[in-house]
Amino acid sequence: MTLATSFLGLQLQSPLLIASGPASHDVNQVALAEEQHIGAIVLKTVCSDKYDHMRYWPRPRYKLLDWDKQISGRSKYFTLYSYEQGYSGTLLDYWDFIRACKDHATVPIVGSIFADIADDWKELALKVQESGADAVELDISSPHRPGSLDFETTFVAAIDAVVKALRIPVLVKLGAGPDVIHQCKAAERCGASAVTLCNRIRGFDVDIETQQPILHGYYAGVGGPWAKYYTFRHVAEAAQSIKIPISATGGATSAEDIIKYVLLGASTVQILSVIMVNGWESIAQIHADLAAYMQRKGIHSLEEIRGKALKTMILPEDIVRWSGEPKTGARNVWKPVDDHGHS
Amino acid sequence: MATLNAKYRGLDPIPPPFSKEYPPVALIVEEKCIACDRCPPVCFFDALVMESRPGHKYHRTALVISENCTGCGLCFEACPVEAIIWVPDLEKAKPKTRPGESAMKDADV
Repeated sequence: MTLATSFLGLQLQSPLLIASGPASHDVNQVALAEEQHIGAIVLKTVCSDKYDHMRYWPRPRYKLLDWDKQISGRSKYFTLYSYEQGYSGTLLDYWDFIRACKDHATVPIVGSIFADIADDWKELALKVQESGADAVELDISSPHRPGSLDFETTFVAAIDAVVKALRIPVLVKLGAGPDVIHQCKAAERCGASAVTLCNRIRGFDVDIETQQPILHGYYAGVGGPWAKYYTFRHVAEAAQSIKIPISATGGATSAEDIIKYVLLGASTVQILSVIMVNGWESIAQIHADLAAYMQRKGIHSLEEIRGKALKTMILPEDIVRWSGEPKTGARNVWKPVDDHGHS
Repeated sequence: MATLNAKYRGLDPIPPPFSKEYPPVALIVEEKCIACDRCPPVCFFDALVMESRPGHKYHRTALVISENCTGCGLCFEACPVEAIIWVPDLEKAKPKTRPGESAMKDADV
């Protein structure tokens, strides 16, 4: 039995990836992740110089909602509410960061970038490649994304330019929403190697005591275990609409979630919130539970069950239905109610 | 009313009042710390360590290394006894952006 997974031509020891964020902004975190036998690491997103303000972070910027620390942080459904920003160093620092990660990592390193115009995307992506990263993720869907950039006019051109310029695989990270399948297809048409589904979405919360927005006072990224159901659906839809691999992400906190994503067609699963709230060891727990499941089910490799649940998914017209509530007769006869509530 | 506010256990949802003038950093109130070891693992910035404290009720305490603290707020969520408070980092006055002088020309929408 093996957790080894082939993804974008890379041989990963596990289908689990560290998602871009606070668990991958420091080269020393590579060792912590590798200790847990992670499959690959997606580094924190760096923004082009135009978005220099994203390198400066508000304080505080993380709030756990509906989080019960009284039970030692084992709340099943919590919300990570945050205004996370970009990599805090300069672009030069980021290229050094990638090089340092590559010097010390045995697992693949994925750079993550954000820009606006296609030329900037291309320039950043080329630098990521030049610095030695094994792949690049285009973070076009961050909930903290600055600017009023449109998918059709900006990001399609960006994906196209990056894919044409690079030798290494290009992942496109998309946000949950009605457009996601359309965007998956566009990314595939542009030649992207894989899609990452789905980023957290923009949310908002207000404090009723002070009657003002919480934390920094602006919309925030929200995600958490509750959000996985939307992503399950998007992954299922995407797996049936595109041929490129899917790296699922969103609300995965346990081996069960990982198995579900794989059953719905995902090749890899990116995790982060669970590490933030339960520590790096949660990766080892997920691996152990995954192995136990595979053993119990007699599965040698996750490849055997990838997309399996989709095969038993049926169309609305094929759902077995029975006669509904009769709308003629008794249901259409008015029965007056007396003073005691009896009819 | 306690039930209404239950979801805000942990980090206060509104930043400390001095946060427009000085960057907030976390500080451990050592007398309150129960040495439960929950805060160091949630810190992604190497700003929390456990230290021995002879004479402390638990002989140990959490300690914030304030040069490393980015004021993210996560340790507040981990502390079961409200032993973490905000203090201003007086060395680093003047935030990067203030209302009206923002660098964000292409503002978020």
